[in-house]
Amino acid sequence: MTTSVDVSSGPVTTAPVVRRAWWRSRLEGATTPARLRLLLALLILLSLAWGVLAALTANQHASAAADVVAVSEPLSLDAEQIYTSLSDANATAASAFLAGGLEPAADRQRYQADITKAAIRIEAASALVGSSAARTELPGHLKNQASAAGSAVGDDLAMLSGQLPAYTDEVGTARADNRLGLPLGAAYLREASALLRGTLLPAASDIYTRESALLTSASAQATGLPLIVIAVVAGLGLGYVLYRSSRWLSRHTHRVVNYGLLLAALAGLVSLVWLAGAFVAGRGDLLHAQQQGSGPAQAFARAEVAALQAHADESLTLIDNTGDDDYQKDYVKLQKLLGPGPGTLLAATGSSQAASQAQAWYRAHQALRAQDDAGNHPGAVAAAQTGDAARSFARLSTTLSEGKETHQAVFAASARNGRDAFTGLAVGMIVASLVMVTGCIWGLNRRLAEYR
Amino acid sequence: MNARLRPWRALAVVLTASGLALGAAAAAAAPGQPSARSGGHAARAVTAPAASTCDPKASSLRPAGPPQVTPGSFMAKIRARGYLVAGVDQSTYHFGFLNPLNGQIEGFDIDMIRAVATAIFGDASSAHLHLKAISDEQRKPDVMSGTVDIVAHTMTISCDRLKYLDFSSVYFDAHQRVLVLKNSKATSLDDLRGQKVCATTASDSVARIAAAKAIPVPVTYWTDCLVLLQQGDVAAISTDDAILDGLAAQDPWTKLIGPPIADEPYGLAISKQHPEFVRFVNAVLQQLRTNGQWAASYRHWIGTPVAPIPQAHYAG
Repeated sequence: MTTSVDVSSGPVTTAPVVRRAWWRSRLEGATTPARLRLLLALLILLSLAWGVLAALTANQHASAAADVVAVSEPLSLDAEQIYTSLSDANATAASAFLAGGLEPAADRQRYQADITKAAIRIEAASALVGSSAARTELPGHLKNQASAAGSAVGDDLAMLSGQLPAYTDEVGTARADNRLGLPLGAAYLREASALLRGTLLPAASDIYTRESALLTSASAQATGLPLIVIAVVAGLGLGYVLYRSSRWLSRHTHRVVNYGLLLAALAGLVSLVWLAGAFVAGRGDLLHAQQQGSGPAQAFARAEVAALQAHADESLTLIDNTGDDDYQKDYVKLQKLLGPGPGTLLAATGSSQAASQAQAWYRAHQALRAQDDAGNHPGAVAAAQTGDAARSFARLSTTLSEGKETHQAVFAASARNGRDAFTGLAVGMIVASLVMVTGCIWGLNRRLAEYR
Repeated sequence: MNARLRPWRALAVVLTASGLALGAAAAAAAPGQPSARSGGHAARAVTAPAASTCDPKASSLRPAGPPQVTPGSFMAKIRARGYLVAGVDQSTYHFGFLNPLNGQIEGFDIDMIRAVATAIFGDASSAHLHLKAISDEQRKPDVMSGTVDIVAHTMTISCDRLKYLDFSSVYFDAHQRVLVLKNSKATSLDDLRGQKVCATTASDSVARIAAAKAIPVPVTYWTDCLVLLQQGDVAAISTDDAILDGLAAQDPWTKLIGPPIADEPYGLAISKQHPEFVRFVNAVLQQLRTNGQWAASYRHWIGTPVAPIPQAHYAG
């Protein structure tokens, strides 16, 4: 607004001057009671305007913070869990398959637990996405983004819940054929693995990416500066108007203190300090949740998933028995991605323990491959099942999933604190503005009464 | 480690013993005599696209007597290296498959390759024989590059392949046919016009499926085809009866239909750089034909009645 006035030429810039002159002439020509009434109307208007602005600001931050805790965080956690559970199920199914007809009970239970967990998370995420109520409180642009992401995520979830039974069906057929000693079992397992990697995991990954982006943007909305700066400036401006009003009153009425205006000023001060304080505290908590919580948790989750996929490759290479070498190539690719080293997934987690455990696993894997390539297939299978490779992978997997859970707990606690900082803030702002209005009416009415 | 290898060695002993007893019966089946398997379609089906001189069944090199590891030969090199590397199938039931019950690759093809390893080393323990599972597509490049010394992988001797590879004499006579679900109304490949028919990438079945105006669906392994057939993604699988029999054995709700579409004589593939090895392998195969091992292997993996032993014809 002001910029357009600044750049325009002569006649337009004189407009405010003309308006000021009009205000002045009216005020100077008016009687004192008329002036008081005018001042009262102005103060009521300003107090109400402040209340609306402050409540709006509070509401925006509160709903964004609530969204972080109630929708985005659970959804991205669900998506991450779906992804991890499915990857783990696939790695476990492949490893159990290697054992032949008599698969270890622990493997079977782990696979079942993974599938159950994934199914529960898919259902929970579908319920969250379905509850549009959770999204309607979001302010304008965030709501649009949420609904666009919501429909894509809904499609992904529908695909996941539709294809998961197809996957378990194929794994079941693979298991039954394997038990009968038919080579057809290995074909079903390859098919199942391809379905998981080609369809299920990309859908889960898509949900995760979208929900992470939404989490970041909800978080940014909750911690963003523009509106709060406007609100604080407006609050200070209102304080200045109240101060000038009381000065004017004391000049014209020869009373030092107007208690009504003092009350209004105090209410304004309290609301301003509360708003700014809640914002600073909430912002601090939410930023902490992001930097110490969701950020590192994401890094650990990514590393965990890459490790799980590489582990599935290790088993599938043995099941495929060198075949096309595709699985081993994929393993090498994932190993590069995982690191450790600059720019790798393990480097992002900052865990030196995970780094050394990963290297121990790579060494065990190399020994296993060497054994298999030398024609000792049963020896390599034993290493992958219970030997060095199995043990070193289990250690790495535990470190990564513990690291992820620790940071997820930090995120959950901090984000909840951040959300709680905004509790009751919007209502408080409206109450404060009503107190201010009351104070102004009370204070000025007493002066007006003196003229009746 | 050696303890794990005992089962197959025991099997080899059994095969040899039973082979000796039944050798005479197998040898009695005269060459060229018509049988249920080869029928009267051989003449029609064999197609030699380019050279009229090419006869896939009589293209190999004549052995110089019984198998002998001559000094300086490729066999001597293999013996010095300590092991023979064979490219094999791991998913074709009864020919080359990874047996889930014992984790070993077994089958008719594997018996042939074990005989070759035994002729070089005196035994075919895993120390002396490295079985490398490869896909159909890898067979030609792996032999040409020397990644494997020999391929035993239900590989048809064809004039096109003979331009790049040498083959042993024919060790198995297969014929391309069609496998469908039991409730299918199709009676031959011609009935499957416009429908999806599965075969492995780089198998010679793909071209014949396309020639019959069906839509070929290429996959990596033959068992992948059976997965697609069971899931209803293809209407049929078309390849050699030897492979289809193995698939049908894994799913009793399938049946073979139609007359043999083409002759598929199987040979062991060897690089063109080692003609002495081709002669050596042919000498080993000749022993298997006459000492009854071939028939014993056939009976063990494919069953009875045992088909006539394919007789060796050499180009030179």
